[in-house]
Amino acid sequence: MYIAHAGHWLVNVAYFLPVVVFLAWLVVTQVKERRRGRSDGHSHST
Amino acid sequence: MTFLAHGLVARSDLPIPEWLFGWAAAMVLVVSFVALAILWPEPRLERERWRPLPGDIGRLLGSRPVEVLCGAIGVFLLGVVVYAGLRGAQSPTANFAPTFVYVIFWLALLPASILLGDVFKAFNPWRAIGRTVGWIAGNAAREGLPAPLAYPERLGHWPAAAGIFAFACMELVASNGDRPENLAIATLVYSALTFVAMALYGVETWISRGEAFSVYFNLFSRIAPIETRDRVVGLRRLLSGLPALRPGAGTVPLLAVMIGSVTFDGASEAPIWTGIAPDIASFFQDVGLSPQNSLELTFLIGLTATILIVYGFYMLGALGAKSVGGGFTTTRLARAFVHSLVPIAFAYVAAHYLTLLLFQGQSIAFLASDPLGDGSDLFGTADSQIDYTIIGANATWYWQVGFVVVGHVAALTLAHDRALALYDQARLAVRSQYWMLAVMVGFTSLALWLLSQANA
Repeated sequence: MYIAHAGHWLVNVAYFLPVVVFLAWLVVTQVKERRRGRSDGHSHST
Repeated sequence: MTFLAHGLVARSDLPIPEWLFGWAAAMVLVVSFVALAILWPEPRLERERWRPLPGDIGRLLGSRPVEVLCGAIGVFLLGVVVYAGLRGAQSPTANFAPTFVYVIFWLALLPASILLGDVFKAFNPWRAIGRTVGWIAGNAAREGLPAPLAYPERLGHWPAAAGIFAFACMELVASNGDRPENLAIATLVYSALTFVAMALYGVETWISRGEAFSVYFNLFSRIAPIETRDRVVGLRRLLSGLPALRPGAGTVPLLAVMIGSVTFDGASEAPIWTGIAPDIASFFQDVGLSPQNSLELTFLIGLTATILIVYGFYMLGALGAKSVGGGFTTTRLARAFVHSLVPIAFAYVAAHYLTLLLFQGQSIAFLASDPLGDGSDLFGTADSQIDYTIIGANATWYWQVGFVVVGHVAALTLAHDRALALYDQARLAVRSQYWMLAVMVGFTSLALWLLSQANA
């Protein structure tokens, strides 16, 4: 049923795609920075 | 549940799909963000610059006779609303009260506040009555009036948030919220509560902190380049009134109510709501409520849930900003950036109610001539008609998108400026704004989706 009406809800999803993409980028960037910060901390301590 | 349809018509010949406007708007925000990060390295809006209007114009406009005249007009209009509501025809479109309250007062005052400053403060009937009564009582009392109570800090903007929520319930939840008699009674009840609060805390304190409509219009007036100080009207930098806002308890919930209520009004026309609302209402009917009460309770749940979602989304942005460092709490950050939500609230109202204001606003011409709906023609305009051709469907859409984009870019600018003032490291300031950008993109997408639903 959902697949049959995909045209309807996909248009709604399209509106929010920029938010999803941006949030995903933000989370990935933050996780990468934290990892980098942790590895920098390790290299300083050794 | 609103008494007036928003008068929108479907668009058929837009050059690109509507959702693509959402993507373009998001791109505008991202580009604006980058431009701000490069070209706006120091806080500029935090410093207040105000100068009086040239000549004696500023002094004349802010003079006591003008203030008394404006207050008298406000009191007269309040009286007309109550009288028309109680004595006039009980048809929402034939009576002066509903159109005046929901269109002229609620909507037309908003652009007036954005352009001319705190117009409502001058016309506020409750302030005018409160000050007059206080002046008379002060002269009559031999030993002077007792000092008003200190306004509790924990109350903050909570009374204003509750007042705007109650108004939204009247407009969007109550089945008979557009009935003139009900509006008149609600106006009388609200007036009585306001007078009691003014007597307790003082007229100016209650007006600036607790009275819902004063606080509401004052927030929007902070966008304006015009401000009155010490009875003199003067000019200031556009948007610079907002950083001067002192947020407290209830300020973030107030903004959430302002944005959330418009969001719900739009979402209630969307299939996502029209699909589930009957199921919720029938559940309440099954447990014994009347059909009308079931529907009202369903809409109350929808309105409350939407406001909570808006509040939660903003707090999520503040939580994200906290995660970049700087040592601020989430509450501190939420309050520090809350003034940036005001242009967003404006964008939501302006875009959503544009056609209602432009079309239904015209009906005040014939309602002013026949306020009771009894066939009178006081000003010879009783036969005037609404001109639905003043704006086309596509032009409406472009204006709506324009309001949404400009409102969110203004919000982004305010947040960026505040971040520069708040953080001692420029790097942290920019990183904190990634999260605010996410909030802005989210609200932009939501606004355009809502508009597309209303026009579907």
